[in-house]
Amino acid sequence: MAVSPGGATGSLVILDPTDESAPDARTALRRPASLDGLRVGLLDISKARGDVFLDRLAELLADRGITVRRYAKPTFTKPMPPDLRRDVTTECDVVIEALAD
Amino acid sequence: MPAEERETVAWPADGYVAVVKQDCPTCRLVEPVLAGLPGLTVFTQDDPAFPEGVADRRDDTDLDASLALGIETVPTLVRFAGGVEQGRVVGWSRAQWAELTGVAGLGEGLPEYRPGCGSRTQDPDVAEEILVRTRGGSLRARRLEIAALEDEAEALFDRGFTDGLPVVAPTPARVLRMLEGTSRKPDEAVAVVPPNLAEATVEKVAINAVLAGCRPEYLPVVLAAVEAACTDEFNAHGLLATTWGAGPAIVVNGPIRAEIGMNWAGNALGQGNRANSTIGRALQLVIRNVGGGRPQEVDRAALGHPGKVGFCFAEDEEGSPFEPLAQSRGVPPGRSAVTVFAAEGPRGLADQISRTPESLARSLAQGLRSVCHWKLPGGFDASLVLSPEHGRTFREAGWDRARLHWELDELLLLDRAEITRGAGGIEEGVPARASDRPVPKFRPGGYMIMYAGGGAGMFSAVIGGWAGGPGGSAPVTREVDPWR
Amino acid sequence: MHDFAALEGRGVIAAFLASTQFVVAAAAQAKALGYREVPSVFVPHPIQDRTDAEMRALADAALEEVLAAVTRR
Repeated sequence: MAVSPGGATGSLVILDPTDESAPDARTALRRPASLDGLRVGLLDISKARGDVFLDRLAELLADRGITVRRYAKPTFTKPMPPDLRRDVTTECDVVIEALAD
Repeated sequence: MPAEERETVAWPADGYVAVVKQDCPTCRLVEPVLAGLPGLTVFTQDDPAFPEGVADRRDDTDLDASLALGIETVPTLVRFAGGVEQGRVVGWSRAQWAELTGVAGLGEGLPEYRPGCGSRTQDPDVAEEILVRTRGGSLRARRLEIAALEDEAEALFDRGFTDGLPVVAPTPARVLRMLEGTSRKPDEAVAVVPPNLAEATVEKVAINAVLAGCRPEYLPVVLAAVEAACTDEFNAHGLLATTWGAGPAIVVNGPIRAEIGMNWAGNALGQGNRANSTIGRALQLVIRNVGGGRPQEVDRAALGHPGKVGFCFAEDEEGSPFEPLAQSRGVPPGRSAVTVFAAEGPRGLADQISRTPESLARSLAQGLRSVCHWKLPGGFDASLVLSPEHGRTFREAGWDRARLHWELDELLLLDRAEITRGAGGIEEGVPARASDRPVPKFRPGGYMIMYAGGGAGMFSAVIGGWAGGPGGSAPVTREVDPWR
Repeated sequence: MHDFAALEGRGVIAAFLASTQFVVAAAAQAKALGYREVPSVFVPHPIQDRTDAEMRALADAALEEVLAAVTRR
């Protein structure tokens, strides 16, 4: 048939089961007012020179009283492996991922 | 694509229109006849190069013309005059084609008659798309797109539409099929759903019924349950907002139980039957998604219970020693109804020794007494699900439901000395009073008796409720048939 | 961007830092994952041939935007 299922190629259209008061696209999680008391992680995607950037970012955050945990992906070419994802999600409330180039 | 975005199809106001497909032997048989008919427009459903020799041959692979003409069989020949259909012939019949066209001697050398083939509009592989194309315009709910790289099941979790278990993606086609379960229009209002007091239309309920895994024939039961749960008497908002762990349960009576294959026999209150499992879930998903009632938000239950995913069962009317619950609550015999009530998880009550109704009633009363707290009267409602092996004792003794209620009421008059604060070494209890009159465990009408379960097992079940009556929640019965 | 979706899907607030080379690709990937927008910070391209001092300067310049991407400000 010459008719697509409704949306862009490969997407699936569903009907909203809610009262439609929320935005219609997937949205990022609600942000906290500040990072005070939150566990912050820096995730290095392991591209060249990214470590220098992240080292400095960690210093700057430390100056503001925010200590960070550091993580590194084995390779920037793939999503986090499951064990790293588990560590990051259990040990962090906030994660900053850098630096894609 | 929604119907309103498609171009409308047209054909000459005067003349003949034929709809064919190359895949059909009868269409191929009449190919030379079509080539020789003057004033003919041919719409082709599959191969745009078929049939040969026709001047006005049009591609109908998207089936728009076939749908507009209501074609069920090919070939179909239709005559138009002044834009109005004058008649049509389905399949090949020399006599009928000659009569419709006024052309004698059509199809020389062809057999007199050959039946046609099914139109492509009838093919199962396009049925879903045609359903959406022809009736999708009746749907009003916002359309959401699950992107190409999203997993469909994961996306529905991420958007918060589920109760923690996977749901069925509510595509327009599935929702349209669900809506075939009712004669009500998609935009009709069913109820105003707490806690956000959002209006649930038939369509919104159908969307959530798809999520829950319902079949279309369950939809009238779900609609009746939503109507019942959103009444002032049932007070779904209060039930949700209380820190007590009860949730809405549904018991179904009447012919629809069998029509949709509900279970009222072995494991009647348990898992394994699609109708039982998904109808209760659909109600809870309506409260979650339309009403906005989510755990740890407006749902303040300290503990909750697993039946809050969905709790629905049917009464065993055929085996019951009593009249059906719905009839005892005013529904005429032979009609289907739901009764929605506040429910904790069920707890078994064993008595494998009692052979007299008096002794068995005492056992059941002890179980009912433990609802909320053994020492606390008057506040909480409850339900008793009597099993067949316990029901037999009452049947043989000739006790009807009213008699059992009357006997239990007597047995559930609590001795003040036992329930006063501090009595039994338990600080919980009622304040000491001058009166020593016994106190009824339940408010009048504060417990229901139902009948269900497998044939073996001298075990009934108590289902604790929540605060009964005004300020709390009272069971509500609604008929299903108005929602069919 | 897949990491962003994986983290946020598990309740971890995430932000994504990339060079300006990635603006279009990141937007396309976010859309494909169902997000209209993803909290992102873009630093000037190129990256790989920068000196350490230049990299640190990029971080200094990005800090406020990074904080804005993960907090409500």
